[in-house]
Amino acid sequence: MTVQTPVTAIPEFEAGRLRYRAPQMDDFEPYHAFCASERSRGVGGPYPHRAQAFERLAGLIGHWALRGYGRWMVADRETDAPLGVVGILYPEDWPEPEIAWSLFAEAEGRGIAYEAAQVARRYAYETLGWSTIISCVKPENTRSAALARRLGARPDGHHDHPMIGRLHIWRHPGPEAL
Amino acid sequence: MGHRDIPLLETKRLILRGPTAEDYPDFKATFASYRSRFMGGPLTPYETWMLFAAEIGHWEIRGFGMWMIHLKETDEPVGMVGGWQPSQWPEREIAWIIFPGKGGKGYALEAVDCCRRYLYSVKGWEGAVSYLDPKDLDSVRLAERLGCTRDDAARTIDNNDSAYRHPGPAALANSQLADGIALEIAHYRDPLFRPEGWAID
Repeated sequence: MTVQTPVTAIPEFEAGRLRYRAPQMDDFEPYHAFCASERSRGVGGPYPHRAQAFERLAGLIGHWALRGYGRWMVADRETDAPLGVVGILYPEDWPEPEIAWSLFAEAEGRGIAYEAAQVARRYAYETLGWSTIISCVKPENTRSAALARRLGARPDGHHDHPMIGRLHIWRHPGPEAL
Repeated sequence: MGHRDIPLLETKRLILRGPTAEDYPDFKATFASYRSRFMGGPLTPYETWMLFAAEIGHWEIRGFGMWMIHLKETDEPVGMVGGWQPSQWPEREIAWIIFPGKGGKGYALEAVDCCRRYLYSVKGWEGAVSYLDPKDLDSVRLAERLGCTRDDAARTIDNNDSAYRHPGPAALANSQLADGIALEIAHYRDPLFRPEGWAID
């Protein structure tokens, strides 16, 4: 039987306190807990059904195959416990590729999203060679807006998503400004 | 990570190949159309893109998934077939969709037969179900031609669908059913096909 090329190759590495790795089935329960909770409201949730969480988890992997970049499962460097999903997101109906972050409840308050978003931004600029990137934040998601501001991003208009609703666009400082 | 390789399967008329970015326009057109009504569609572009990404990720997570069906002669994509099991699926499913305008040629029959034999013989499946909308008469009829029977005792996805149980590997081996499927596929390929050594009235 002829074997086709692999599904996808997701770059994995460690940096700072975190491990950036491919999502896997072992991440399903924590990811489902996030998707089913109020915490996912900023990303169009809550998604109460397990089937929805599965589709989103599989979608994280498929995103890499379709775009060549995507989001990592960000895990504790010591224990490999998943802490959240951070990376570059660009599905359809999206204004531009964005740095997106979703933090699981137990990872909160430790600057994990701040640390990982900076790594993702550096990946976009240095590895992908991009000159600009945004983050999309729902207007009521004040904590993510605060993080975008802390990352040096500035408001740059909005995008009306047909399903998620209005998204505020935050444009990050370019590679030369960093 | 341990990358999964998606096997390439071939039949007389078809090549089954893992989904790639080049297949997205056909997938999108199908799921934007009424054709997708029995698969949760029609979907918005955003939902369609996320679903297509999930189709690819399914292979990585489960070790099986949906192939794109291409015509061998022209490479034209005509549909999708394969194993499907998101969370909440009671059992592993054999699923299919034929793209708009490509129905009636026996492609689904040929592709499902091929993928079912692969899942049984290579992946060691002992059986499978297909969850069908009772209004999806084309698919119900296809399931029956493939030897499936409706299993009213089986759990379904959301009680709006019926579980059609496929004959297992033992029931298919050297069976009249398997010969009948092969004969029907051969007739689609060549309507004048007459098997040699078979009693024909």
